[in-house]
Amino acid sequence: MSRTAFDTAAASDNTRSGLPPKKVPDAVLALGLIAVVIAIWELTIRLFHVPTFVLPAPSAVIRSLIESRTQLARAAEATSLEILLGFVLAAVTGIAIALVIVHFERFGRALYPLIVLFQNVPKVALAPIFILWFGFDLAPKVALIVAIAFFPVAIDMLAGLQSVDSSFVALMQSVGAGRNKILLRVRIPHSLPYLMAGLKVAITFSVIGAIVGEFAGASQGLGYVIQFASTQLDTPKIFSALFVVSVLGLAFYYAVELAERLLVPWAPKFDAHHLTS
Amino acid sequence: MNSALPVARALPSSDVTEAAQARPVHVDARNIAVDYYLEGRRQRVLHEIDFAVPKGSLVSLIGPSGCGKSTLLKVLAGLIAPNEGSVSIDGVAPREAARRRMIGLVFQDATLLPWKNAIENAAFLLLTADDAIAKTEALARAGTMLKLVGLEGAERKMPPQLSGGMRQRVAIARALALDPQVMMMDEPFGALDAITREEMRRCLLDIWERTGKTIILVTHSIDEAIFLSREVHVMQTGPARIIETLPIALAYPRNEQSYADPAFKAAQQRLRSLLIESHQRRPA
Repeated sequence: MSRTAFDTAAASDNTRSGLPPKKVPDAVLALGLIAVVIAIWELTIRLFHVPTFVLPAPSAVIRSLIESRTQLARAAEATSLEILLGFVLAAVTGIAIALVIVHFERFGRALYPLIVLFQNVPKVALAPIFILWFGFDLAPKVALIVAIAFFPVAIDMLAGLQSVDSSFVALMQSVGAGRNKILLRVRIPHSLPYLMAGLKVAITFSVIGAIVGEFAGASQGLGYVIQFASTQLDTPKIFSALFVVSVLGLAFYYAVELAERLLVPWAPKFDAHHLTS
Repeated sequence: MNSALPVARALPSSDVTEAAQARPVHVDARNIAVDYYLEGRRQRVLHEIDFAVPKGSLVSLIGPSGCGKSTLLKVLAGLIAPNEGSVSIDGVAPREAARRRMIGLVFQDATLLPWKNAIENAAFLLLTADDAIAKTEALARAGTMLKLVGLEGAERKMPPQLSGGMRQRVAIARALALDPQVMMMDEPFGALDAITREEMRRCLLDIWERTGKTIILVTHSIDEAIFLSREVHVMQTGPARIIETLPIALAYPRNEQSYADPAFKAAQQRLRSLLIESHQRRPA
């Protein structure tokens, strides 16, 4: 066993030092691991006769997935719309807050503690209030997502705007450039990799926000499907809806990562291999 | 060499002191004092600095670290307003000089924008300074300057693909693209290895000889100051002042042989004793 671990570590080193590629690609290894976990799960359920309402076997989940595919697709569509709207609004809010804090220094210093204070309010507890304010439709979910997801965007963007090398500011000032020019030409482009990191966190928060929002009160969406199924002890459907939520989250996450690669090619790339070193 | 390169004048006269005296003053600092506030307490970091740089001259500011060399350079560049005294660059105040693109700054760190390639970086400050200039024209000028600093062929390289020396060359080209009257360089070769440093010194002398710019160089290397400069201003700490201005009686163009010149050795000895003295006088 220890030899295998050693081999894997050596193989992952190869990709960095430009040595020949590994015999088994990482993706195949990852998929294989998932297959093994599912197989063990299926076997355990069958061997120990676990009741389906406690924990359904993967085969039962797949069956439920196929049977309720139209319901799940419609729910996924509703939830996706909430996620998308909420995420975009959270991004705009976060970026605006960061720009305001940097540009109006004095006001920014006063605003910052307020934002941190708001971040410490448990957002889940806001869901019922938002329903009270905005009704049962799209609005309370979007509001909840914005409340949850704007913070990482604001904080990361702020870090990016403020981490510009002071020599660069001096350089700009040495040709008579004012604050606006420095902000537009140096601070904002410099902050983009940071912003993208914040957006990646925000998109995962947005998925959580949408589901929590639907839990609090909804007539559609994947969160609604999960809650309705749980009242009927339809555990396979809970799992199939969870599966769709996960796939949705993954798709949204990689969409943001793709945008990052296209928009900020100079950003330091996240490399899973660094985890091993 | 390439005929596209700017040649402003013939090689500087070898009669150093006479030439220096004949030139009009370009950068003039009178009675400069700068205070910093540290934890509410006022601290004088620059004191009674009088400092004149003749036009077309290459002078160095040398002193122990933390003596205020960089602060003085920032005052000259208009980045810090002095608490007392005044600076004029060709008769105008530093801030106005900055607006007129008279100042080219180079720092120890090249500070290139990671999202722009070498030529875009070299054109960047010019484009920032001059809203009217066409991008193609700015890029063309940046390209000429990259040639001048010996980076022909590396125009499209991104900063991470450039070595430390090459990055610093881009930073110099970026300052030159402004066509400034005065180049102000703060430890420009301080972060480079010994061989690259040596190479960059020759590169800077070459640029100076071709362009005839006034260059003010901050350094803590005695050899670098002597090898490059016509005059070396020695600074002392606490509060910083200029304790001596040493003319370097070495003929230009200078090369490796200059290091072995008796005049070089003499200047070396003088500077060393001055710096040791000023270092020992430093407040604890």
